[in-house]
Amino acid sequence: MTRADRFERMIRWFPPRWRERYGVGMVALLEETYADGEVPLRAYFSMMRTGLVERVREFGLIGSAASANERLRAGSLAILCGWTLFMIAGADFVKFSERWSGATPRAHLMLPDLGYAIVRDAGIAGVVVVLLGSLLAVPSFLRLVRGGNWTVVRGPVVRTVVAGTSVMVFTAGISIWAHLLNSGDRNGGLWAYEGVVLLWCLAVIVTLGIATGAALRVSRQLDLPARTLRLLGRLAITLSVAMSAILIGTALWWASESVYAPRFMREGIGSGIVITSSTFPLSLVIAGLLMLLGLGVAATGVARLAPSLRRREAPL
Amino acid sequence: MSKATGLNQPGLGRNNEPPLLILTSLAAGAKHGYALTKDIETFAGVSLGPGALYGAIARLEERGLIEPAPSEDRRQPYCITASGRTALAQAVRDMRALSDVGALRLGLRLSTRRTGRSVATFMVTR
Repeated sequence: MTRADRFERMIRWFPPRWRERYGVGMVALLEETYADGEVPLRAYFSMMRTGLVERVREFGLIGSAASANERLRAGSLAILCGWTLFMIAGADFVKFSERWSGATPRAHLMLPDLGYAIVRDAGIAGVVVVLLGSLLAVPSFLRLVRGGNWTVVRGPVVRTVVAGTSVMVFTAGISIWAHLLNSGDRNGGLWAYEGVVLLWCLAVIVTLGIATGAALRVSRQLDLPARTLRLLGRLAITLSVAMSAILIGTALWWASESVYAPRFMREGIGSGIVITSSTFPLSLVIAGLLMLLGLGVAATGVARLAPSLRRREAPL
Repeated sequence: MSKATGLNQPGLGRNNEPPLLILTSLAAGAKHGYALTKDIETFAGVSLGPGALYGAIARLEERGLIEPAPSEDRRQPYCITASGRTALAQAVRDMRALSDVGALRLGLRLSTRRTGRSVATFMVTR
C-alpha cells in the first residue's frame, strides 16, 4: 500500500459528504505532516475518533447546527437502534427462560411470573410501537418512490428483503428439523443441531442489523412532515419506556429465579461454559449487557429529541 | 444563566481549544492546514492532530467564522471572516478580563509586548 493510499484510508472514518468537502485538503495535510516518517498511532486514533464524531454529528445526534426536526429524526432513530439491541437480548432471554415456570417451586412463582409478564407485555407493546412508526413513514416512502428516487434506497431495501426472506426460510427449515428430533437431541444432545441453531441466531442478528441499517438510510431520505416527526418522536419515547420496563422485568425475573430456582439458572443455555453460574448465567449476562447498552443508546436519543418535542417548528 | 461571550459561545471553546487557536492563527492571514498546525505549535505550543484540526475547521466554517480562500493546489487555505474577527475579539477581551482579575488577585503586573511571532503575548513580571 502506498503512502497516498494509506492517507486515503485514514480519512474513510469520516462521512462521505464530509470527505467530499474536506478530503483533498486533509490528505494534503497528512502528506505534509507525515512526509518523512511513520504515521504515529495517535494520529490514527485521532482520525478515527474525529471521523466517528463527524458521523454522529451528520446523523444529527450531536451538534448545535441540527434543526429541531433533524434532532427529532436522529433521536427517534437512535431509540430504534437501542430497540434492535433489545430484540437480540430479548430473543436470548426467551430462549434461556423456556420452561422456567415448571422448574420453579409453585410457592415462589409470583415474583418471577410478574417479571416475566412485564418483559412479555412490554415486548409486545414495543413491537406494536415500531409497527405504528413504520406505518407513519409509509406515505413519505411512497412519495419518495413515486418521485423517482427508488434507486437511492433500493440497495438497503433489497438487502433487507433478501436477508429477511432467507431467515424465514432458515427458521422454517430449523423448525421442521426440530420437530423430527427428540427433546434430548434438541437440548444439547446433538451437536449438529446446536451448531445450526447457533448459525440461525447469527443470521437473525445480522438480519436485524441489516434491517436497522436500512431503516436508518431510508429514513434519512424521507421528507417527513414536522407533524409526523413529532408523532414518531412520541412513539420513540414510548418505545424507550417499554425498553426500561423490559429491563426491570428481566432484572426481577433474574433475581427471583436465582433465589428460587438456582438449578434451572445453572443448567440453562450456556451452562457448559466455565464462567456461568446460578446467579450470573452467561446467556443472561449477555442479554443484560445488550439491554443496558440499548437503553444507553435510547437515552441518548431521548435527550436529543425531547427538547424538540416541546417546541413547535415550521414544517420542513 | 451565563451570558454568551466570545469564550463560551458554542464551538469556540476555552483558550486552548482548537477553534480559538485556529481563529488566532488566521487573524494573521490565510493559511492551509499544515501552515495552521505549525503556526499554532509555535505560538501556543499545542500540537493539533489532523482530525482535531479539520473537525474544528468544519465547525468554524459551518458557523461562518472562517471561509475557504482561493487555492492554487490541493492544499486548501482558509481565512477569517468579519464574524470570525468579532468572535475572536470578544474572546480575547474575555481572556484579558480574566487574566486582569487573576493578576490583580495574585499581585502580578502584566505587560503586553510585541514579539517576533504572529500574535502578542502577555509577559508576566513580578
